[in-house]
Amino acid sequence: MSTSFLVNGRPVRTDEEADTPLLWVLRDEIGLKGTKFGCGIGMCGACTVHVGGRPTRSCITPISAMEGAEVTTIEGLDPAGQHPVQQAWRELQVPQCGYCQSGQIMQAAVLLEDFPNPTDADIDAVMTGNLCRCMTYSRIRDAIKAAARLTVQATTHD
Amino acid sequence: MARAITSSFDEKRIAGRRLCRRLVVGAVALGLLGLAGFAAFAWQPALPEIATPAPSSFALNVVARGAVLAAAGYCSSCHTVPGGQPFGGGYAMKSAFGTIYSTNISPDRETGIGAWSKDAFRRAMHEGVARDGSHLFPAFPYEHFTKISDDDVDAIYAFIMSQKPVHASAQPNALIPPLGIRALQAGWKLLFFRPGRFKPSADHDAQWNRGAYLAEALDHCSACHSPRNLLGAERGGAARYSGAYVDGWFAPPLTAANPSPSPWTSDELHAYLFQGIGQFHGTPAGPMSPAAHSLFVLPQADQNALVRYIASIGGGDARAGSAAAAKGLALQINATSAGRQTDPDARFYVAACASCHYNGTGVINPARPDLALNSAAHLSSPDNLIRVILFGIDTPEGAPGLVMPAFGKGFSDADVARLAAYLRRTRTDQPPWPNLQKTVADIRAQGKGVE
Amino acid sequence: MTRLLRHDAGIALSRRSFFVSTLAASVVFGFGRAVAGEGGSQPAAPAQLAPRLTGFEPTIWFRIDQGGLIWINIAKAEMGQHIGTALARILADELEADWDAVRLVSVDTDPKWGPMVTGASTSVWQTYPVFSRAGAAGRIALIEAGAALLGVSSSACVARKGRVEAGSRSIGYGEIVQRGDLARRFSADELTALAIKTPDKWTLIGRSVDALDIPGKTRGEAIYGIDAEVDGMVYARPKLPPTRYGSTVLSIDDTAARSVKGYLRSIALEDPSGTVPGWVMVIAKTYPAAIRATELVQVTWRSGETAAVSDQDLRDHAHALIADRSAGATLDTGGGDVEAAYAKATTRVEATYTTAGVLHFQLEPVNALAFQKDGVFEIHTGNQAQSFILAVLAKALQVPPEKIVMRTYLIGGGFGRRLNGDYCVPAALTAKALQGPVKMVLTREDDSLLDSIRSPTVQTLRLGFDAGRTPVAMDHAAVAGWPVLAMVPQGLLKGTNGVLYDPYSISGADHWYDVGVQRVRAINNDLAQKSFRPGWLRAVAPGWTNWALECFMDEAAHRIGQDPLAFRLARLTGRGINAGSAPNAVGGAHRQANVLRRVAERAGWGRALPTGSGLGLASSFGQERDMPTWCACAAEVAVDQATGVVTVRKLWVEIDAGAIINPDGARAQAEGAVLWGLSMALYEGTDFANGRVRDTNLDSYTPLRISDVPTLEIAFVESTEAPMGLGEPPTTVIAPAIGNAIFAATGLRLRHLPIRPVDVLDARAKASAAAATTP
Repeated sequence: MSTSFLVNGRPVRTDEEADTPLLWVLRDEIGLKGTKFGCGIGMCGACTVHVGGRPTRSCITPISAMEGAEVTTIEGLDPAGQHPVQQAWRELQVPQCGYCQSGQIMQAAVLLEDFPNPTDADIDAVMTGNLCRCMTYSRIRDAIKAAARLTVQATTHD
Repeated sequence: MARAITSSFDEKRIAGRRLCRRLVVGAVALGLLGLAGFAAFAWQPALPEIATPAPSSFALNVVARGAVLAAAGYCSSCHTVPGGQPFGGGYAMKSAFGTIYSTNISPDRETGIGAWSKDAFRRAMHEGVARDGSHLFPAFPYEHFTKISDDDVDAIYAFIMSQKPVHASAQPNALIPPLGIRALQAGWKLLFFRPGRFKPSADHDAQWNRGAYLAEALDHCSACHSPRNLLGAERGGAARYSGAYVDGWFAPPLTAANPSPSPWTSDELHAYLFQGIGQFHGTPAGPMSPAAHSLFVLPQADQNALVRYIASIGGGDARAGSAAAAKGLALQINATSAGRQTDPDARFYVAACASCHYNGTGVINPARPDLALNSAAHLSSPDNLIRVILFGIDTPEGAPGLVMPAFGKGFSDADVARLAAYLRRTRTDQPPWPNLQKTVADIRAQGKGVE
Repeated sequence: MTRLLRHDAGIALSRRSFFVSTLAASVVFGFGRAVAGEGGSQPAAPAQLAPRLTGFEPTIWFRIDQGGLIWINIAKAEMGQHIGTALARILADELEADWDAVRLVSVDTDPKWGPMVTGASTSVWQTYPVFSRAGAAGRIALIEAGAALLGVSSSACVARKGRVEAGSRSIGYGEIVQRGDLARRFSADELTALAIKTPDKWTLIGRSVDALDIPGKTRGEAIYGIDAEVDGMVYARPKLPPTRYGSTVLSIDDTAARSVKGYLRSIALEDPSGTVPGWVMVIAKTYPAAIRATELVQVTWRSGETAAVSDQDLRDHAHALIADRSAGATLDTGGGDVEAAYAKATTRVEATYTTAGVLHFQLEPVNALAFQKDGVFEIHTGNQAQSFILAVLAKALQVPPEKIVMRTYLIGGGFGRRLNGDYCVPAALTAKALQGPVKMVLTREDDSLLDSIRSPTVQTLRLGFDAGRTPVAMDHAAVAGWPVLAMVPQGLLKGTNGVLYDPYSISGADHWYDVGVQRVRAINNDLAQKSFRPGWLRAVAPGWTNWALECFMDEAAHRIGQDPLAFRLARLTGRGINAGSAPNAVGGAHRQANVLRRVAERAGWGRALPTGSGLGLASSFGQERDMPTWCACAAEVAVDQATGVVTVRKLWVEIDAGAIINPDGARAQAEGAVLWGLSMALYEGTDFANGRVRDTNLDSYTPLRISDVPTLEIAFVESTEAPMGLGEPPTTVIAPAIGNAIFAATGLRLRHLPIRPVDVLDARAKASAAAATTP
């Protein structure tokens, strides 16, 4: 069975089995390795991509669910890697091993779209699904707030 | 006998197998009537074959109107296999009584309805009788279609006959004997089928009546949302629209008995039916998904009329004021589940679900709110919630362009049961669902199905 | 690990002569900025070979090319500690390099790099003397050559930011490499004698710097082992046997798997090294197909003898070993008759502490890409201890070690897991069997089952006081599975009683308190050793020895009616064997007392707290006596009476790790270490059941998440002492501080990690029952 969808604006088609997780199609078939495999049960968040603009755990999303969907991966979040969240992540030196950070960044990007000025409780509630084994949590919190400020600045300057 | 058969199955098991219950009652009717009289009643003449009308023989505006009606009547939902040619039939409807396949209704002469006259088509829609005189199984909801006006049926005919012929023979049904004998269906008709076009109610205005016409005749909403009696007929009176099992899902009540914390107001119905997501209820899933999506094509006036009528069934607009309280409560519940997790189940929920289903402080997330407002958590049956957790929601379903992952891949039955119980306990004031783990196992075994 | 590693540092400095010459072709295999440059795309895995470059390569550790770019060879594994950046700063500082011209190169396992192990927070400590002198040698050579080009004497020149300056004139390093005569050589003795900067002269060290590996990690460009690819590779997932050791394959039935699209075959591995006995590898064209097929392949094993082992079995066995006073190895703690002194003591305190097994749960499941090329086996993976596993691989593959090369990728979380390279073996064996490239990836559940967990432990401590409430005898016995015995048995040490022991499974018990005569006994849990492969995990033994020690010190203080802070300070006298010595442990116990005092002051020790709340203290010397990082923690907790839930409100942490190379990086490491300590104190741990760990994924294994993070207040002691490790030591003080705070809040002494709400409720119930039966 063939499934067609968009990845970072580019049309793709796969003939993978219906229950093949989106994650492996992205990584091994399309070659976008920035999305990571962590737990395989949707509980660590390393595989988070955007589907229709919403954060989605790609490791448990069957490819058959994807017909016509629009997917954005970490590689497509910003053409120059300059999304406010990415900038803030570098500014605050968030990543350690970095393995979870694609997912953290993708999750945080949507959080900020929904709630441009999140409280600590907002951040905790939404980001708790993203495990960071290096425990960079304090910096993630700070960086999300920094990204919120960057977003406000960018909007003001436009 | 019928009682013996049906009661030997739990309502859920034959749920959605509405068709099959009717098969059973066909057999009952046989017993009631006696063979001779019944045969006379059951006999219907074949109507003559005609030369397939050329698409150009239909007025374009009629075809266009037929297209909308066919979509809103879900013709292709049943008469097309997933990924197959439109109207080519072959869609399997499985049940404990066997499998029935939808027929080819494309204008192919040999395998479709290319030789059907307008009258033959009308008779099928209004009386449930095929061109050759055989009785149609009530999987085809002619008890609703009988209410469609001649004009509209003709428009649907014009549309269908303008489609590409699909050469595909109907797969033979595989039903437990004698349920496959079509003549038996006449008995059921005698008992429950009341042919006749839609009659507007004088108590209501034109818009309401238009909505009622769409809902009752074309969209056949109550076919799923009303419970059925032991003989498989939709129950009337207070039971009407009080919710029923359908293909493994629970079609919730459309009446005031609907347990959603936020009432189904006109606005919510609009968003749910025509945008694919109701912020205060959720998103159409399972069999409701193609139903809602088919309605996207209705003209604005018809959408308004449909909402007007459906909203009047549950009276949600009159209770619109309670939405604020429900929202406030949901936000409060949400706030307490955010932050430091002290309950192991809450930790599990927040890690697994809240990354997508979250509210902000004082703000309901428009796309995927916290599940405190989600209808599925409040229903008497956990089936919908469990199904969605296990199998997810594909892009063609639910809110356009969005998916929900299939957590069943990684979660055990106990995990899913734990999540469902936690939501029920913390997000609703409803009693706990019993035997959750077993229900999860049963639903997992049934599989996602074809929706 | 330190001792194993310490050995290497010496070798690195003395064995190698530092050549100064204009050479040389070199092959670059790297990640991140090394080949691609800032912001550029990553090199394509597995091995993008850079063009043969010429340049100035004064030592094997770096090269300056004609464009002035400085390529620094990093032999340490990058797993989030930004080690490449930290090490490059050391070299670049002495070299007076322009930091923007620095590029990192991750090297392969060529023997010239010396033994390769990244662990025990020793990287900076170990590399500092080598890299600083390598940089200094380069600087001297560049100044000499630059002076000649400028036509002035060397003494008239200074090096600054990648240029040699003489008054107003200057010349860049790149130009010197192009035009200069860089023939200067340094003998090993000369190198050792090279003066290196005093801290006040540092220009890069001691300042925060953006880590070179971070930008790629924010763009999804960083390449980890799991991202490695080579043309024509197939995928493998193991079908794991019922026990870690001793299972043998009786039959394989892949009938059902053959219906999986892309399934190729299943192979029972023959492993002469005994690393992965009883493994069956399921091969497919794609990884999802391998996952599907593995679930369908039916394997019958004859199980190993540990198939039924439970946590209770492991604990019972440990208790029996402790009770046997002749079991285990005794450490050299100054001698004396502990039993006699204890027998004479007027007050005796005894307690037993336990910890559950802990999974590494590094987020990148272990994986390896293996293939044979030109007669050499290449293993592409992220690994922390290539030197440990190369010999094993050689035995497994039955080829000499020089026929194996490991290419190191970024590591998606180490925490000690990748010191154990066992996962390289099945990939290599499969590549050999298939005679083609294969990428093995473990699912999370596979990874957890294979994990070399932090062993569950049992410790019994005894402390005797004389009538003046002065400690006269202390005994500390610790039972655990031993990582060194499992992985590098040559690293075992001999105890004073002649029995071998794993120093990394007892360190921490050999504390800096004056306690009279002291005995420390390391006992191997041989049942654990058979049942799983014990592993090193962040902070290693002091992650649990110090939990027992510092809770026990608290108990003892309360027993003799002293304030826990005053009690500790009075024992940290810095006398005798606790005086400390150069180069690493200058100050000794005084520095432990210092961090303890400081953290107590910051936390407001002694202040009144609401009912149900409490403040607890703990301190440690990090991990090892001769490489101490002095740490202290104060924890404020609230305990919910009804539910037993412990909420940590705030953690104050004080760290003295000597000089800090990169303050912001140090803080990041400390934050991670502290939160690991918290996670293991309250949130994570798994039992053993049926010969395996019970929890294999996040539905039941519940490590710390962002919503569990309390307020952290971490401070560093300003110091110019030798720089010590930071990534692990702070972990050691968190659990005991919390345990002591729970006691302060409730009067309940919790003696098992992790502390779950149910444990608090049980302890309360027991305390109530005991109170009821006491007349």
